[in-house]
Amino acid sequence: MIKASDIAKGTFILINNQPHVCTEREYVNPGKGSAFVRLKLKNIKSGSVLRQTNKVQDNLEDVSVEYKEVQFLYADSENYAFMDTKTYDQFNIPIEGEEEKRDFLKDGDNYQVVFWEQTPIDIKLPTKMVFTVSEAEKAERGDTVSGATKVITCETGLKVKVPLFIKQGDRILVNTETREYQERVNA
Amino acid sequence: MRHARFTEAIRAFFQGRGYAEVDTPALSPHLIPEPAIEVFQTEYFPERGPARPMWLIPSPELWMKRLLAEGAGDIYQISKSFRNCDFGGPYHNPEFRLLEWYTVGAGYLDSVGVTEDLFSHLLARTAPSRPGEELSPPFLRMSMEEAFHLYADIDLARCQDPLSMKAEAQGKGILIQGSPTWEEAFHIVFLTLVEPRLPRQKPLVLFDYPALVPTTARRRPGTPWSERWELYVDGVEIANCYTEETEPGVLRSFVRHEEERRGRCRTAHASDPDFADLFPSGFPECSGAALGVDRLEMVFAGEKSLEGVILFPFSAILGGQSGRRVKGIT
Repeated sequence: MIKASDIAKGTFILINNQPHVCTEREYVNPGKGSAFVRLKLKNIKSGSVLRQTNKVQDNLEDVSVEYKEVQFLYADSENYAFMDTKTYDQFNIPIEGEEEKRDFLKDGDNYQVVFWEQTPIDIKLPTKMVFTVSEAEKAERGDTVSGATKVITCETGLKVKVPLFIKQGDRILVNTETREYQERVNA
Repeated sequence: MRHARFTEAIRAFFQGRGYAEVDTPALSPHLIPEPAIEVFQTEYFPERGPARPMWLIPSPELWMKRLLAEGAGDIYQISKSFRNCDFGGPYHNPEFRLLEWYTVGAGYLDSVGVTEDLFSHLLARTAPSRPGEELSPPFLRMSMEEAFHLYADIDLARCQDPLSMKAEAQGKGILIQGSPTWEEAFHIVFLTLVEPRLPRQKPLVLFDYPALVPTTARRRPGTPWSERWELYVDGVEIANCYTEETEPGVLRSFVRHEEERRGRCRTAHASDPDFADLFPSGFPECSGAALGVDRLEMVFAGEKSLEGVILFPFSAILGGQSGRRVKGIT
């Protein structure tokens, strides 16, 4: 069991015997009385979305999942293709509903994938990842005091707002949750 | 400094209307009788004798009501207030600025007018970072009964016991565990179906809360509603207001009910033993409102998180960072 207050984005729980992943979670205290957690849950099998509110002290049934190290191979129009780095088995994860992860998947890189009853159900991205700037316009002379920015494109197609001094070929650290530039990591 | 300009503008507004600014304790040996609120506890070491438990106030209500009972008249203050056990999210900081004001001889709907005037004043004085018409009066007004009709298809006036509220919720596909109180079932439906759908194009006054949600708001005679409203801006709760209950018997029963909930939170605090006794001594008819100043500044700045307006957000200072997202101090 898991306490409602311990559920976070990415936590897996069982609702009506169906596995769900929490996609949004908000703590709400309606001014008077008890505190609540408002959850948005995605059914892993059907993709349907459920909104639910629990008292923070409610107990919910958690799902036991397995994490595997896998290599990202490629994406076609419908699926992401991965390979288990231990067994070399290949498998697909549908892109539908996971479109935003495309920008963070680099061909040949390793990722963690979550399995539930032998079925791959979620791709876990590191909180911060390094990308190479593939397209960047030359810095315009700007008001650098107020921290002027421009938008660049990385090797995966990810677009990031960066400081003007970033140029093509630079390597940058990006927060995968906020899609925000963190720092330049050139050696 | 935007922070300072904002609080100066609030002070100028209330002083211009003849409210006296007061400064009441932030550290207190007892608090308002609302044991469900999670609070911060500390200790005071007197010269002699054992250490005394003390608490940081979750709101200045208790002390301001003492002043009202002594005949202070219209009063306001911007105090630091504290709520413990926050679970994150963009709208909570355990330490926050609370504006609380009391208007003697006024009812809860009079306080809507004061709040609208405050918004007009702040729009003129603080140069918000968003179109002024999104925040300017008149505010939208909707009763809780109407909101439940519109967004949950539930007749709140006819749904006055826990079982019928739970059954209504389950009929809408909402899972509710165990045997909730009416208040818990109401909040679960409200937070799941109603609050996310409230209109956002203008500030919204959601008024006439169910009297079954126990507060110190006066009951509207002959109805199941309390004279209470909350203000929502961008879907975020900004303020809470009552016509204050002044009947000692009703307040004693409120205190008794709240005491029954003791032990449900992590840090049980001592409630003011004299709270209900404030009222027989000529407590004035009045309306009290509490407004989160950080949240107000956030919506005026067009920010989506308190981190955009608080110089040192709690989560960041806890993580050992300076946590500065607000650029400069201007």
